Amino acid sequence: MIIFAHALAASFLLFLAAMNIGYLVLHLVALRPLRRGHALRALQDLPPAYTGYEPPVSLLVPAFDEEATIADTVRMLLDLDYPEVEIVVVNDGSADGTLAALERAFDLEPFPEVYWRRLATKPIRAIYRSRLKPLLRVVDKESGGRGDALNAGINASRYPLFCAVDAHALLHRDSLRRAAEPFLDDSRTVASGAAIRLANGCAIAGNRVTGVELPRSTLGMLQISEYLRTYPYARLGWARLKGALLMSGAMAVFRKDAVVEAGGFRSETLGAATELTMRLHRLLRDRDEPYSVHFVPDAVSWNLAPEEPAALKRQHIRRQWGLAESLHANSALLGARGGASATLAYLFLLVFDCYGPLVEIAAYAFVLAMFAFGQLSGAFLAAFLLAAFALGFLVSTSALLLEEYSFRLYPRSEQLARLVWMAAVENLGYRQLVSWWRAIGLVQWARSRIAASAPVRRGLPGQERPW
Amino acid sequence: MLFLAEAIAAGSLAAALLLIITVLAVRAQRRWRHARLRRVEEPWRGALQHAIEDPHAARLDPIGFLDLPFFIALWNHAVHGKTGDEAERLGTLLSLHGLDDRVLRMLGRRSIRLRVIAINAVGHLREPRAWARLEKLAHEREPVTSFAAALALIRIDPRQALDLLANSIPERADWPLARLATVFQELGPAVVTAPIVAMLLRRPRPGLERVVKLARFGHRERIATIVLGWLGSSTDDDVITAALDFVDQPSHLPWAHGAADHAEWRVRLAAARALGRVGGREELPRLLGLLRDPVWWVRYHSAQALTRLDGLEAFELETLRENARDAFAADMLGQALAERRWT
Repeated sequence: MIIFAHALAASFLLFLAAMNIGYLVLHLVALRPLRRGHALRALQDLPPAYTGYEPPVSLLVPAFDEEATIADTVRMLLDLDYPEVEIVVVNDGSADGTLAALERAFDLEPFPEVYWRRLATKPIRAIYRSRLKPLLRVVDKESGGRGDALNAGINASRYPLFCAVDAHALLHRDSLRRAAEPFLDDSRTVASGAAIRLANGCAIAGNRVTGVELPRSTLGMLQISEYLRTYPYARLGWARLKGALLMSGAMAVFRKDAVVEAGGFRSETLGAATELTMRLHRLLRDRDEPYSVHFVPDAVSWNLAPEEPAALKRQHIRRQWGLAESLHANSALLGARGGASATLAYLFLLVFDCYGPLVEIAAYAFVLAMFAFGQLSGAFLAAFLLAAFALGFLVSTSALLLEEYSFRLYPRSEQLARLVWMAAVENLGYRQLVSWWRAIGLVQWARSRIAASAPVRRGLPGQERPW
Repeated sequence: MLFLAEAIAAGSLAAALLLIITVLAVRAQRRWRHARLRRVEEPWRGALQHAIEDPHAARLDPIGFLDLPFFIALWNHAVHGKTGDEAERLGTLLSLHGLDDRVLRMLGRRSIRLRVIAINAVGHLREPRAWARLEKLAHEREPVTSFAAALALIRIDPRQALDLLANSIPERADWPLARLATVFQELGPAVVTAPIVAMLLRRPRPGLERVVKLARFGHRERIATIVLGWLGSSTDDDVITAALDFVDQPSHLPWAHGAADHAEWRVRLAAARALGRVGGREELPRLLGLLRDPVWWVRYHSAQALTRLDGLEAFELETLRENARDAFAADMLGQALAERRWT
């Protein structure tokens, strides 16, 4: 029994080590594009891009019960530094006054538009155009979820590229220009994702982040550390390896014809942008078509993270649900043609990101139980917990080093001290709690799959919003 | 097993500690460098300012090895956008202090960033001694350095550089077309027409579409002669579509008429745009036909073209819309008329 307990505990430990070393390797891979970005800054005095060739972009903003913020969001988008855009807000059957707020702010009137139903969506009620801002149109439709709203936006859009923007996202004036740059530089680009940064604690004016600060609350700080460890540099690493399967829905630019050919967004998916990106990888590889998916770390979308535990829990559950759904809907990526990168990325996400939290929770539970039953020594328990802490701390510090090397958003010593402190504290309970929530998300998703075959379909988590 | 856990814990903690020390070292080094640059930047800016008037009167202290890239980057910024005597005087400042030779040596540095700073500088200096080295760099696979080198060559001798880069410009998809377009625009038709014509006649595959896009910066008449010639001979859809953009005279309209029945919808779309650009009311039946096209975009551009036709009034279009038997065509014309009211 003791040998079995030790062997299993050692396997768990090796799993945790492999997962964290995987992130470390991704951070290492991200160094090269970061260095290239650094070098490109030396090109600043080269001729600026001739605007005639920047592809026009349709900004699609799905909105569900956004009465309070939608007008400010549209104003922010109207102020983006990009030569040619149109803004299509899709009111996805909001129960509040979202449409009325837009009418008030932008003087809308019905427009006799020929709606091109390239992608199936819930019925459209009307299409409006702003008398004040000719770039703005509003599609009013029956509620069908975020993916359905984005599909309606694609149908109504005119331009070859579209940018899906979260109605809560806070963008820099140059965010779109940077996110669209890969389309200008590489004709094979089908998608380009922006980096998500947390705006908690930052100074915000007119839907823009005007000063970068760290949040005061511990939960906010823990999330900053978590985001740095798992988001920008790991995604950059995957993009460099041609395995960018994850895409944030907060801001992502896509080539419209590729998305339409792929069938658009799936309306019932929680991680709609990620699922679509995985599908694009799969279909384009199957067709042997050259393509690329980029991640642009300096195209930033600032988002406010929840600072209440209940909301944070719901967010993690939904995120895990979306990831599991996307991975299983695109399992054919495992045997996809066109190089091993997507398969490798898929396996990594499946083993470490999707099922990893379950294994992690099982590992802690097993080691603690074996210790309680006297099968593992106190020294082993202590060494196991210390190793789990140290591995997480190592990945967090490597993310801090990349941050210091590249963007240096937190230049003050006091900020660095807090970040180092949080890199340690995050691994003393918070990370395990997040794994627990994610494990719940995974279990809920699995149960929903079983229930999907039953006559009554279960709801998605956080059912108060359909997306 | 205990040993494994202890080893992982100790190794990870040691590595994390090392990373934290590296973070602190990177931060300390940056602060030291910034402090140093703050001290020297003001005198450098002063020297550059004076050099624009008189490089011999500008006082510049010796620049150390570590400071050189920063000074040259500042010089690049100062010289950017300057032409004629001002640019020449700034160049003289470098040669007076032997910095031009040091910049040439910088071209051989391994760091992409340092190399690009040096490439930009020799481009601004129009330094003929750098030509061979730049030529080699322009043919490297690395996109940033090769593109910067290509632009520097163009600065030094535009005609010779464009001859040299005639194969690379269409083929190097990793060279941003938008930036090349800016350069072509700045050089003007007198310089770029001949190389564009040469590239067009070669009809490079792949890359022809890049050349066609740059062709707009050459003499339109000379280029149109070549491009419109393709309409009679080419069966390549991309080539025909690109060529239809050069239809800008009524005498070219027969080409657009032929393309309006093409099997490829992009060609029909280009034909509809061409008809709207130069056609008159005699194109009405053809555009009404295209307004019933199965492809939405062709219908959309045909409706737009109809609203732009010479000599056709809005009330006539309204009548056409009301009398249209095809509901899709009527809706599209309605949208085009509404858009016209808006713009």
